[in-house]
Amino acid sequence: MTTTADIEAMIAQMAIGDRTAFSSLYSATSAKLFGIGLRILNNRAEAEDALQEVYVKVWRKAASYQVNGLSPMTWLITITRNHCIDRLRARKSATGDMNEAVDIADAAPGPEALAIAASEGVRIADCMGQLEPDRADAVRRAYLEGETYDELATRYGVPLNTIRTWLRRSLIKLRECLSS
Amino acid sequence: MTDATEEHEAMALAAEYALGLLTAAEEKAFEDAMAVDPELRASYAQWAEDFAAITDRIAPVAPPKDLLGRIEAMLFPGPAKTEKKSLLSRFTLLPAALTGLVAAAAVLLVVNLDFQEPTTVPFAPEYTAQLTADDQSLVVLAAYDADSKVLRLDRSAGAAQVGRSLELWLVVGDNAPVSLGILADAAATEITLSDNLAADIPGGVLAISDEPLGGSPTGSPTGSVLAAGPITQL
Repeated sequence: MTTTADIEAMIAQMAIGDRTAFSSLYSATSAKLFGIGLRILNNRAEAEDALQEVYVKVWRKAASYQVNGLSPMTWLITITRNHCIDRLRARKSATGDMNEAVDIADAAPGPEALAIAASEGVRIADCMGQLEPDRADAVRRAYLEGETYDELATRYGVPLNTIRTWLRRSLIKLRECLSS
Repeated sequence: MTDATEEHEAMALAAEYALGLLTAAEEKAFEDAMAVDPELRASYAQWAEDFAAITDRIAPVAPPKDLLGRIEAMLFPGPAKTEKKSLLSRFTLLPAALTGLVAAAAVLLVVNLDFQEPTTVPFAPEYTAQLTADDQSLVVLAAYDADSKVLRLDRSAGAAQVGRSLELWLVVGDNAPVSLGILADAAATEITLSDNLAADIPGGVLAISDEPLGGSPTGSPTGSVLAAGPITQL
């Protein structure tokens, strides 16, 4: 069982060029990160490329890990999520067919609907459950589909300012719940 | 504005930043603010932790077995690897044109790539480009290390048609594409760029076109562009 401390130690070793630590980190975390890439990109070849790029980034950024204040898994997940979202957005703007991309995302129920929530995820899931369903949905879409305010405004048929106001309110509510 | 409102404001902004909902300008402003404000940094870190927990419900999936090897080959070229010698056969660089002297000259600048001393510095790419055909029939990942001027290409899908060649091009602004050579059949390859070409990498676009066997006879792409992607900083 790989612990948080183990992963932290691997990243610290990577920062000084330890390749063995890199392959250990990969073994311990790649399935998790690949799952996330597949979920976001919904395309195996792209998810493989993204994973490759993510680990290149992780290797290069290992030295700056200590200062960013994130737990090691969150750091890895955030790099993965952000990288995949960048790719997804590039794909959308390249094809110029937002609707298609959105539909693909809609069609996939996503493994998270089926899998059992782990302990930490329960809290965010609980708190999201306390938001109005479409607002929780908007937060999830922003995080997992990389939807922008523009896209969300179109999706929910409300003006841009309105969507921003109600999403921000929802986020404040979410924080209150998460902190309680 | 009351303190509580300001606090809410900052907290919502940190969440928007974590979700990638801010405009480029807002993002930059937030990062600048975060750099000097530990509370804002903590607020962002908290959101990052909480949002990351959304992925707890995403099932892990084992990536393909050879992926680690591909990443390691990219990061650690390994000075003693015998495959160094075979790179020329993997990535045959042919003068792209008999008549296109400019393009041919550009190719000659990179043609000595395999006769260099094996690099001992780790491959640490600062730039990457993803070249993907619309139908995913050709997928090539490019990574570029500015220190060594090495451009690595890793093809995960696609191949030249029988009797045809895939040719790699560097396009800068409105300038004519410059040939970087013909892609051989192997999946992974690397080329070392000349100083001139290296300078063009940031902000350039890489493209792959379908060409007659041996490459474009004119020095410019003659067949359809199968895949292209902007070079972005990692």
